[in-house]
Amino acid sequence: MLERLKSRRFYPIVFLTIIVLVSVSLLLYINTFTSGIVEARNRARIQEILESIFPDLTGFEEEEDLIIVYEGDSIAGYTILASGNGYSGAINMLIGINPDYTIKDIAILSQTETPGLGSRITEKEFTDQFAGLAPDDILLSKDGGSIDAITGATISSRAVADAVREEMSRVVEMLSE
Amino acid sequence: MNDLFTIFVVMALVNNIVLAKFLGLCPFFGVSKKLSNAVSMGMAVTLVMLIASIATSVIYNYLLVPFNVEFMQIVLYILVIASLVQIVELIIKRTNINLYNSLGIYLPLITTNCAVLGVTLINSAGDYTILQSIASALGGGIGFTLVLIIMSGIREKLDVAETPPAMKGLPIAFITAALLALAFMGFNGLM
Amino acid sequence: MEEKTKKDSYGTRQGKGPIFWREMVKGLVISNPVFILTLGLCPVLAVTNSIDNALGMGAGVIFVLLCSNIIISAVRKAIPPLVRIPVFIVIIATFVTILSLVFEAYLPPLHASLGIYLSLIVVNCIILGRAEVFASRNNVLFSIADAIGIGLGFTIALIMIALFREILGTGSLAVFGFQLFSIPVLSEHPMTFFISPPGAFLVIGLLMGLFRWIGVIKGE
Repeated sequence: MLERLKSRRFYPIVFLTIIVLVSVSLLLYINTFTSGIVEARNRARIQEILESIFPDLTGFEEEEDLIIVYEGDSIAGYTILASGNGYSGAINMLIGINPDYTIKDIAILSQTETPGLGSRITEKEFTDQFAGLAPDDILLSKDGGSIDAITGATISSRAVADAVREEMSRVVEMLSE
Repeated sequence: MNDLFTIFVVMALVNNIVLAKFLGLCPFFGVSKKLSNAVSMGMAVTLVMLIASIATSVIYNYLLVPFNVEFMQIVLYILVIASLVQIVELIIKRTNINLYNSLGIYLPLITTNCAVLGVTLINSAGDYTILQSIASALGGGIGFTLVLIIMSGIREKLDVAETPPAMKGLPIAFITAALLALAFMGFNGLM
Repeated sequence: MEEKTKKDSYGTRQGKGPIFWREMVKGLVISNPVFILTLGLCPVLAVTNSIDNALGMGAGVIFVLLCSNIIISAVRKAIPPLVRIPVFIVIIATFVTILSLVFEAYLPPLHASLGIYLSLIVVNCIILGRAEVFASRNNVLFSIADAIGIGLGFTIALIMIALFREILGTGSLAVFGFQLFSIPVLSEHPMTFFISPPGAFLVIGLLMGLFRWIGVIKGE
């Protein structure tokens, strides 16, 4: 019976289609499990990082992609996610913003830059340079600003600075309204 | 690294897809004994890479991301690439039979070539727009061709040089690649 | 207990006990996928910069090889020859995606450091090669043995290369955060060359030469 079926002209296409359908269904099924775990972990991480930027936070409120951080009844600041294209992939970061619209701190959430070079953007020595800056000042010293890039990792450093500056400009403009 | 020119230069030189990202090694070590073959292979790969990058970038930006099914990229991209290679193979067969014969088995092997799939995956990982993907593919393809040409020139000389028997063929080619990769690391200073 | 040994066209003996041992040795030394057959090289150079990556990739390849060999072998009589390569590819791609999803959920650091090379398992010539040459022509049991043998050979080759690169390149050896040892002078001034791309080419070139040299000596 199988031989007769195999000799029909449509059989190869049908077989391939069935295989593809089975594959897609299987993957969708597995993804429903794994994506839940990944999302839960991301949320926990963001919570952790929020607490490291605003240690005395008592609560926060999400308004679209902006997070408003509270200490008691007053606004301690804001945080927003930003991402840029580094040397070898996307760099995801969280920007902590003071009530006066300068940067409180930034945290690198994920990066796949070169170990020992670009990956050093996660070091405090680099990220601390962003504290207190207003949007227009967020530039590498090579580009006229005050942030020293990591030696040998200009692309990674610039990617962070550019992403932070763009996101900060956008958010500050939005908040000022 | 968002602007098109930087993406192009990085893919071609600074982060050369063969010598720094280790993509496309099978054709790199296999085809590269004759210069003419190297050029043809390089051009074929560049063409497939370009079309594949455009197609997969459209699929990524307009299908996978909006529906939150980015994980389907492996299955979808490889099917797209496999089909593209079939089409390119048919076109080459019709227009230039000599080229078709000289490329031989290596043409369908472009499907299982890490280079093309690798570049499309790099594009998705970086969330590239369609234009950025084009720059990336061009950089990747031209970088690949460049390295293939250099390697073929060296291997022509290697074949007649005196090498220890155990090192003849692939081992010495790898050592040569090591030196080439070392040289290309100098491009880090470009940025 | 004597067993009559029948051989099929691939020189593999029919029989339960001996087959596993033989297939495994075949994958480890005689047809070691990395050093002798030189298949599937792209990920090898990329992930041997650390033992963690090497082990993770090795485990991943064994998983995909095993699953795809089993499925392809199970349905081999129904696969139409015309579309067999696309069918193999879709099956392999499905298992690679499953691997990637599982790593992303349960082993995030490994998933992050393997990056695109995890996805690139799908074009690893080894897996497609075994599907075409072995799994589509042999039954499930032999296909399992073949997958384990070749997969282990691949993993051991990865570990060998990674040992050289990590020890010389960082001066110490750490497995999943657990540091095994650290060489005094070397760890302060490691030869980072070996962690970098040229180092990968060099180590593999030399090891290949070594394997062939051993083969040459054995042949005499």
